[in-house]
Amino acid sequence: MTAALTAEGLHTYYGKSHILHGVSLEVAEGKITALLGRNGAGKTTTLRSLMGLTPAREGKITIFGEDTTRWPTFRVAAAGVGYVPEGRRIFANLSVEENLMVPLERGGPWTVERIYQLFPRLAERKQNRGRQLSGGEQEMLSIGRALLLNPKLLILDEPSQGLAPLIVREVFRIVQQMKAEGISVLLVEQNARMSLEIADNAYVLDDGIVVYSGPARELAADEARVRALAGASAEEWT
Amino acid sequence: MQLVLFNVTNGLIIGAFYVLMALGLSLILNLSNVINFAHGNFLALGGYLAYTLTPTLGYWGALLVAPLLTALIGLAVERLMIRRVYNRDPVYSLLLTFGFAFVMQDIARYVWGPNGLPLGLPDFLSQPISAELFFVTWYRVFMVFVVIVVVLGLFAFLRYTRVGVRIRAGTLDLETVASLGVNISFLRTFNFALGCFLAGLSGVLAAGQIGLNPNMGDDLLMPSFIAIIVGGVGSLIGTLFGGLLIGMAAALTTVFYPSASEAVIYAIMMLVLLFRPRGFMGEEGMMS
Repeated sequence: MTAALTAEGLHTYYGKSHILHGVSLEVAEGKITALLGRNGAGKTTTLRSLMGLTPAREGKITIFGEDTTRWPTFRVAAAGVGYVPEGRRIFANLSVEENLMVPLERGGPWTVERIYQLFPRLAERKQNRGRQLSGGEQEMLSIGRALLLNPKLLILDEPSQGLAPLIVREVFRIVQQMKAEGISVLLVEQNARMSLEIADNAYVLDDGIVVYSGPARELAADEARVRALAGASAEEWT
Repeated sequence: MQLVLFNVTNGLIIGAFYVLMALGLSLILNLSNVINFAHGNFLALGGYLAYTLTPTLGYWGALLVAPLLTALIGLAVERLMIRRVYNRDPVYSLLLTFGFAFVMQDIARYVWGPNGLPLGLPDFLSQPISAELFFVTWYRVFMVFVVIVVVLGLFAFLRYTRVGVRIRAGTLDLETVASLGVNISFLRTFNFALGCFLAGLSGVLAAGQIGLNPNMGDDLLMPSFIAIIVGGVGSLIGTLFGGLLIGMAAALTTVFYPSASEAVIYAIMMLVLLFRPRGFMGEEGMMS
């Protein structure tokens, strides 16, 4: 089994505060890897380091066999890494159509038409500005935008955050569909229970250290651990 | 009545210059957080290049090529200097371009001399459009026409092309544009060159009206900043509106109280800062 992404011993800082203390993880090709942990455990920072947005000070990142540790963000993305950031970060003043014009055209199966097929709601709201969309629609737009890059690896940062249960199910269904399309997925989530249902492998992060790594099924079976991980926020949805 | 009409057309033309200058400044400020103090010198550069090119290319050739060359030089300046300070406090870029403005001015003085130079125009452009409107030459009509075409072109570019949409997206959230695979280093360079193109074009147009001198851009720079502030930082439509507003205000004040014509634009800025700090369209953001 080959790895789409490998991170070894990442140390990342925000200014002087040391956030990641030697995080290592691997995203297997064609699989869904869940990265779980409490608020403030360092999940978003890990993803930002992988994307080159907050570069790691120490450690090594390999994506599709290339050492991307020092690469600028756009180069990492252009190598085939789709990123759906925390809070969706859609361009609020731009219309849905314009939001979908921003990504690099990498060539591949994903076209604007296909994004509209996947998310018919976006097609209906083509002319609406980003800020006029509901949370669910914004999430779809953020995922659609990342897919237009025709990624081989999709990194999602809390896609279910702040969404109604029905929409959350929809988002998880789409993540599974991406796996079926052959895209490797790295999924950061608060919603541990649902993530473990669809994930193949899982990592648990706590205070910037990996405290669990292994098959998702194994972690899911450890009821006490899942309960601790899920915390109050995710429990509401399940 | 003629005096009022004269000043209204004057206001329109001055406003048009402010608009071209301010749109370029605004593009650069919005995407890269750089307050380009050398912008007025790119204007002068455009005018001088047109002066040098006119004998070989003729006026029309120079009108097209001089702004393009200005953009090319802007591109080099961005690559060699400006980009190095992007990730620092905006004060760095402000001081850097402030210093570079003086260097550019002295280069112009060294190459083209300290004295004023005229830019030759095709004959028919120098004619008045009619006997009653003797103060309105075809050149003035032509300038306004060029500015309208260029502004419409710019807005169409920003709205309908991929690069244009990326520039607007980058104004809102450059990090996310980068995470979508867009080479933001190239985007910023292109955007800076685009701003310099607009400055160069205003330089060629201004040279036909007021002639050339090494510090011809200085008088246009501050009002252009004011146009951005009045219109609202981040909004290009606001910049357009701000430029026309202060151009008109200055010209109309000239009719009634000439000595206050400069003070009035600063007074407008002060009122905006006190009562609507975001500017007229700053809240809506770019292009909305």
